[in-house]
Amino acid sequence: MRRPEPVGAYRREAISVTVQPDLWSRFEPVDLSDRELALQRQVREFCDRELPHGSRVPGLGMNAVADPEFSRRLAARGWLGMALPKRYGGGDRSAVERFVVIEELLRRGAPIGHHWVADRQSGPVIARFGTEEQKERFLPGICRGEISFSIGMSEPDSGSDLASVRTRARRADGGWLLNGTKIWTTGAHRNDWCIVLCRTGDGERHQGLSQLIVDLRAEGVAVRGIPFLDGSLDFNEVVFTDVFVPDDLVLGEVGNGWAQSTSELAYERGGPDRWLSTYIVAEQFLREHPEPDAEQVRWLGAAVARWWVLRHMSLTIARRLDAGLDAAVEAALVKEMGTRFEQDVLEALERLVDLEPSPESSSLFERLLVASVLCAPSYTLRGGTTEILRSVVMRGLPR
Amino acid sequence: MTDAMLIKTAEDLFGSLCDPQALQGAEDTGWAAPMWATVAETGLPWIGVPEESGGQGGTIGDALAVLRVAGTHCVPLPLAETRLAGRLLAGSGVAVPPGPLTVVPGRPEDTLCLDDGRLYGTAHRVPWARSAEWIVALLQDEGAWNIVAVKPEAGRLTPMTDLAGEPRDMVSFEGATPEVAALSAATARTLLFEGALTRAVLMAGALQRVCELTVAYTGERVQFGRPIARFQAVQQHVVTVMEETAAVGLAASAAARAAGRGDARFETAAAKLLANQAVHTAVRAAHQAHGAMGVTQEYPLHHATRRLRAWRCEYGDERVWSAFLGRAAQDLGADGLYPLITAGSSLLRA
Repeated sequence: MRRPEPVGAYRREAISVTVQPDLWSRFEPVDLSDRELALQRQVREFCDRELPHGSRVPGLGMNAVADPEFSRRLAARGWLGMALPKRYGGGDRSAVERFVVIEELLRRGAPIGHHWVADRQSGPVIARFGTEEQKERFLPGICRGEISFSIGMSEPDSGSDLASVRTRARRADGGWLLNGTKIWTTGAHRNDWCIVLCRTGDGERHQGLSQLIVDLRAEGVAVRGIPFLDGSLDFNEVVFTDVFVPDDLVLGEVGNGWAQSTSELAYERGGPDRWLSTYIVAEQFLREHPEPDAEQVRWLGAAVARWWVLRHMSLTIARRLDAGLDAAVEAALVKEMGTRFEQDVLEALERLVDLEPSPESSSLFERLLVASVLCAPSYTLRGGTTEILRSVVMRGLPR
Repeated sequence: MTDAMLIKTAEDLFGSLCDPQALQGAEDTGWAAPMWATVAETGLPWIGVPEESGGQGGTIGDALAVLRVAGTHCVPLPLAETRLAGRLLAGSGVAVPPGPLTVVPGRPEDTLCLDDGRLYGTAHRVPWARSAEWIVALLQDEGAWNIVAVKPEAGRLTPMTDLAGEPRDMVSFEGATPEVAALSAATARTLLFEGALTRAVLMAGALQRVCELTVAYTGERVQFGRPIARFQAVQQHVVTVMEETAAVGLAASAAARAAGRGDARFETAAAKLLANQAVHTAVRAAHQAHGAMGVTQEYPLHHATRRLRAWRCEYGDERVWSAFLGRAAQDLGADGLYPLITAGSSLLRA
């Protein structure tokens, strides 16, 4: 089976110093096989047909709108849950094949919001740690694009310091009673489930943590929208008050939540969603300015070189996962570089184009620039801040 | 020889020859003759030059792999030039002479020209011209391209150096009679790309050295009772060096691989551009992390960082390569932008 199995990588990130003086040498150019290139052609044809230019406002990478109908059409092509096992409805395909599909969707600004978290990390983490019953219950729905997930990690007092979470589940008859608050929970108002990291036992920091699969429509779950700075309402605070979670929705082992969560973080990092969020803005710039001036041409060329090298670095990670190798530190490195570059793209466009961007502009480029400039501060925060990622890279170095 | 064996051979040889004293000596004298003799004996400078023309055979990938190791060890010899010149001569059916060769890179201020088979004018920034057996230049004469090879003694040589103290001489000719052979325009156009590829690969190697030194130094240097690598502010610099070394190393490998298969214009342009940019980010961060030690002659960082700065300027700076890539993107238009990123040179116009 070629499902990503980043074995044991995450304990490293959590605890110890590991010597990786040759981290740079882990990145190599990746050639796609004929089979992978054929898949790329199929996805391109699908997108040309489904998402023609001018038919809609493209999304910005993983921030794209939720369109369950679109997710189901992808599922019908076998492009959801690609790296999940076949017997649960997955594709038994490789991380690289999944990469080939998602990079095409992301660069077109496809409406992937509905399935994104479930496909990227909830599915893989359930496949890896879940019980047989949980796999049968959730994975087929994820692969069909039906079941959606949110991430229940951050709390009002626990951001980068994830091990300080205070949400707690206490033993109850046949399950657990969950109390606490999660925050920055994207899509909680529309999604079905949330994998919540919480305290189930005593012990310091990394001990006594577990992951529960929580029904976002269960009694005692209150979802309150937190308007994002652009006015959108995708961010939420989720308050759990005596929410009953049955035993069969404990993900993996009670007390193993830290290792499981950090492995989930690794699925979050290192993919093309970490360097393509603003690609569509640049492409639309070129579409509307087919004769850029000399300075704009040079910027475009430099950006092309960066996308190219980040793509190979990111593909390296997918290949490593397919080979059963660890890639946690590599993923942190790519996310750190990639998300900063996403912001650099916007900064350059703002500098190189003389305009006062307006959300009401008739130019799609301008509207995308407005949307992305307002969204961009989150790129280097979500999924691990630049500062945390740098210290993960560093802990992979000798000292 | 397999790749791994070749790299090991180069690693052992260059590692034993290029200690800081040897590098300083080469810089002081302008020519490390014994070092050249030792390296020449192994045949490494002629890898990638066909055997029937006097080279060692082997692929361009082999040659670039050796060059990358040379970059890591800051080998003060015209290895890139000898191979470049050798390939150009061999490609025009000229036998490659033994001894170091060099190539006129072609600066805008050059006035070198061929008139009725004789050589006039000045070539600038010619690496190790003073020690080369032949100086090779690509020149147009009445619309047709020629490759010319001339002994440095046939001209007037003004010794000059680059930021790393390596020879980059100015050579003037007043009617010398060079060897001349015809060259296709297509081959003439490849010099900029092939030259840039040698620099990208050398720079990837040199960045590895910078990265090793930075990781080692910050792990050993103790201030405030702990290694400075424990301080987050210092870690930022180390991570910057690591990231750029990874990106440039990958880019150089991708360009070398593409060159082994054929057209590598896109990958070469991207690799040289990224390497050039890393001079501003990684080199700066490495020096900052090294503190005062890194700005002394006795500490080896400068051998790599000065070469990086010098190579940055050669065979295309950031403006040249970003414009090349930007024009390629403009040609393909918005719908071709992402395909260019994924397919590279195969989408460029001939």
